[in-house]
Parts: sequence; structure tokens; C-alpha cells
Amino acid sequence: MNYYIEPIARLINELTRLPGVGNKTAQRLAFHIINMPEEHVKSLAKAIEEVKEHIKYCNICGNISEEEICNICKNPNRDPSVICVVEDVRDVMAMERTREYKGLYHVLNGTISPMEGIGPDDIRIKELLQRVQDDRLKEVIMATNPNIEGEATAVYIAKLLKPMGIKTTRIAHGLPVGGDLEYADQVTISKALEGRREM
Amino acid sequence: MHLKELSLINYRNYVKLELNFSSNLIVFSGRNAQGKTNILEAIFLLSTGRSHRTPKDKELIRWGERESVIRSLVEKKEGSSLVEIMLSLKDKKKININSITAQRLGELMGHINSVLFSPEDLKLVKGSPTERRRFMDMEISQVKPKYFYSLQQYNRLLGHRNNLLKEINENSSLKKTLPIWDEQIAKVGSYIITQRLEFINKIGKIAKEIHKELALGREDLDIKYNPSINFNHNDASSITEEYIKILEQNHEEDIKKGRTEKGCHRDDLTISINGMDVKTFGSQGQQRTTVLSLKLSEIEMMYKQTGEYPLLLLDDVMSELDKYRQSKLLSYFNKVQTFMTMTDYSDLPNDIDSNMEIYEVFGGKVAKI
Repeated sequence: MNYYIEPIARLINELTRLPGVGNKTAQRLAFHIINMPEEHVKSLAKAIEEVKEHIKYCNICGNISEEEICNICKNPNRDPSVICVVEDVRDVMAMERTREYKGLYHVLNGTISPMEGIGPDDIRIKELLQRVQDDRLKEVIMATNPNIEGEATAVYIAKLLKPMGIKTTRIAHGLPVGGDLEYADQVTISKALEGRREM
Repeated sequence: MHLKELSLINYRNYVKLELNFSSNLIVFSGRNAQGKTNILEAIFLLSTGRSHRTPKDKELIRWGERESVIRSLVEKKEGSSLVEIMLSLKDKKKININSITAQRLGELMGHINSVLFSPEDLKLVKGSPTERRRFMDMEISQVKPKYFYSLQQYNRLLGHRNNLLKEINENSSLKKTLPIWDEQIAKVGSYIITQRLEFINKIGKIAKEIHKELALGREDLDIKYNPSINFNHNDASSITEEYIKILEQNHEEDIKKGRTEKGCHRDDLTISINGMDVKTFGSQGQQRTTVLSLKLSEIEMMYKQTGEYPLLLLDDVMSELDKYRQSKLLSYFNKVQTFMTMTDYSDLPNDIDSNMEIYEVFGGKVAKI
């Protein structure tokens, strides 16, 4: 990239570190930034810096937060008798969008995956087991993804919780709501068929 | 099922080839390296989307060209369909079915069914267990998408478990996670086992009948599924139980070796004639006849599943069979349209139906005789 002057080349290079941004997109963004009013550029740079400075992880559930304890864990209206276990912070957002779930969360920050060298001690399972000591807790919902690693993690945690006498449930998987049966792939349909229930 | 037209453009050693078929037996005759097998390969490609000789589509395009087109018209009970495959050096292959572009390779399946028989198929009897598992997996996957998906899942689970076994050697505290993989492997594995069991039962019965006829009633062919996991009851849930038990028993052994020793990735078939294992004790001729019986059983299986006979592609197999087996094999063309290659068509049995088409293949040119 020696046909760019150095500052532009450096910006393009930094931008390509972002997910979903390749060389071309980075170029476009870089030239857009060059043409932006100076105050916009400054506030963008500041926002990026501040987000890194101010964002912490909640000491209890592992969700992102501005303080030591996140808004969900702090909220007295949330039901402390249910904990929903998810893989990732983004899954908390997805669950929250439903506006149906009123319990608490626990973010694992990954799944057990021996092929990537990730074992149970590398994700936040220990922290979950500590939280389970709370007498108010009645149910743990396993909401890890319905793939091999998510399933394995759910099974592992369920095995640990069972002897402690805590009800452990797994979210259902099958057909997407609002979708057409005819457009679903065969594997999804056969999974949905396995998970059918009496009416 | 009847292939009416086949046209090749810039395919292998053909610049442009157009053939119309009206009979049920089509013979391509010619010396070695003239392009006989290329024609069978093209028909196989139209039926499965892949070549049986190479996984690289680019090799199929004529040297120096950028694109290749393979087109065919096939007549079935439900009507005729136009299947077209376009290969390109740059892009992915494109499939048109009745002039509508298919979105996925899977859509091609079932439009043209074919059974290919080539000398390499002897591996099925003589080769390693991998060959026999591949045979089962290919056949079952064609009719059951869930089976194909389960195989992929199984391989991924196995990868996780094997990695874990190696890690346990360095960090023994990880051993506590072994049961979760055992459980999942057993669940997926027992499904695979039940499907294989069902498939072998079905094809075994058909192959027994066919083989009896090919061997003049003197040989009793028996195909037995030989699972790596032993079980007493054939239902999925009790197989899962046994599966978990065996994986558990093998924990120490598996950790020492760093890989999973038992499971459906170690399954095999035992093929025997009159109680003797064909792989070790069968004569060359018995092994060939066994493969022939299996291939012909495939035809019957496809007929049972689809209500229509597939195309039969015979690549240079006549010279390896005796006159009786040759005529038995050729008797199939009464119901199955058969395409075959051979070096000299005058080697064909004399009593054969004269209503056949013979083509002389020479250096990328095809002439009807």
C-alpha cells in the first residue's frame, strides 16, 4: 500500500482489524473520515476511546456494564429465582429484546470446545456455581446455542447442577416462528419433529 | 429412466460432442486414452454433481478453455427433464434444471439416478473398512439428508473428544468433561448405527438373491454389519446405553492412545460366501462377482425407493467377467438403460440383442457404427 501517504495507510490498516471490514471497506471508510468535519472525527475518536475506558464486566453475571454491577443485576424488579445461562454478551441483548424474560443472566464467555483448547475452567462456570449457592434460586435455564459445543456445555453444567437440587431447563429448538414449514431445511424439521409435544 | 440426449462442450478431450440415444444398450468402443470413460464420467457428473475420478471440477474443463457445458435430456415416468451443468475456471459450477438455476447442489439429486461400476470398485471387497463405510454412507445419505447431517456432526464430536483425550494427558482435571462427549457421541452414533443396520438388512437380502443367480446357485452371499459397538437390542435408546457404557470402559485406553478406539467410525461389513470371508478367502472371480452383486443390488434399491430404474454405467468391466456373468449383467439392459465402455466391441457375447448402439471413440471424436 505504498501509494498511500502514511497516515491514510495506517488508518486503513487499523480499520481492517474490525470484523466484517476488508481492505476495500476500510479504504472507503478512511476516505470518508478524511472528508468528515473535524468535530465529528474528534467525537468518533473520543467515543472509541471512552467505550474502552468505561465499559466493565459485571462482577456477578459477566454482562457488559458501566459499573461494577450491571443494570440487570442491580434492578430490584428482576426475579432472582431464575438465571438464564448464555454464551455471549450479545445473547443477553437478544434475550432482553423479547421483553418477556424477567430473571437474571449468567454470561459464560464461550463454550467448552476441546478442538480450540477451551475447557470448563476457561469459561465462567465456577462463577455460576458460586451464584447457585443463593437460596432464592429455583431454576437455571440453559440458553447456549443449539450446536455441538453449546449442547455439550449445557449438558456439562446440567450435570453439575443436578446433585445440588436445582431445576435445570434447556431452551427448545425447532422451527422458527412466522416461518413456512416448506422453506425449513430437513434437519431443522426432523429436530422439530423429535421435539414435538402433546396438545 | 432413459437418457435421450447428451451434449458436451469443451469437456475433457471433447471440443463439441452431441449424441442422441434411442436404445437401451449403448457401447463405446475404442483403444485406451481416447475418451470413452470421459463420456460415462459426464453422465455420472449429471447425476451426482461430482466426477467419480476427481474432486476438482477444473480438471474436467478442456485444456486451455475457460468454460465447459454438459447438457442432457432425460425421460422419466413423470416427464422429461433437461439437466445442464456449467463448469468454469473462475466461478463455481452452475446447475440448470429445466432452464431454472438450482441454488444448491442438493437440488440436482434425484433428477438423474445412476449406478456406476468400474474396476476400482473391487476396493469395496478388498480394500480397507473405510471403503465399505463410504459405500454405506453414500447410499444412505442419498435418501436421508438427516443421516448426512448426523455424519458431519459425529465427525465434529469425535474431533472434540480426540482433542480432549490428548489434553487430558497434560491436564488430568479435564477428565471430568469426558462424559459429556461420550453422551453426545453415543446419541448421534446410535442413530447412524440404526440406519446402517436397516440399510444392510435391505441390501443384503437383495444381494443374496442376485448373487445366487450370478453364481448358478452354488454360492450363498452374506453381508453382515459388523459394528464396533456390540448391542443386544436394535432400538436406538438401548444402543445409546451400550455405546456410552463401552466409551466409559475405554476411558483409560483412549486417554493413553489419545484417540477414540470404539464407535461407528470403526464399523465394517463382513462379506462372506458360503461362510468364508470374501476379503481373505475369496478368489479374484468371487470378489468381482460379489462387487457385481452389490452394484446390481444398488439398482434394485433405487428402483424400490424411486419407482424408476437408474442408468447403469459400466466402465471397462466386461473384460474381467466370464461369458456367463457378462450375459447376466447384459440382461439388465432390458429394464435398465446401460452405457458401457470396452476396448473392442467384437468381444461382446454373440447372443446379445442386436438392437444396440455402438460408437467408436477415437481421439475425442465419436462415430456411430
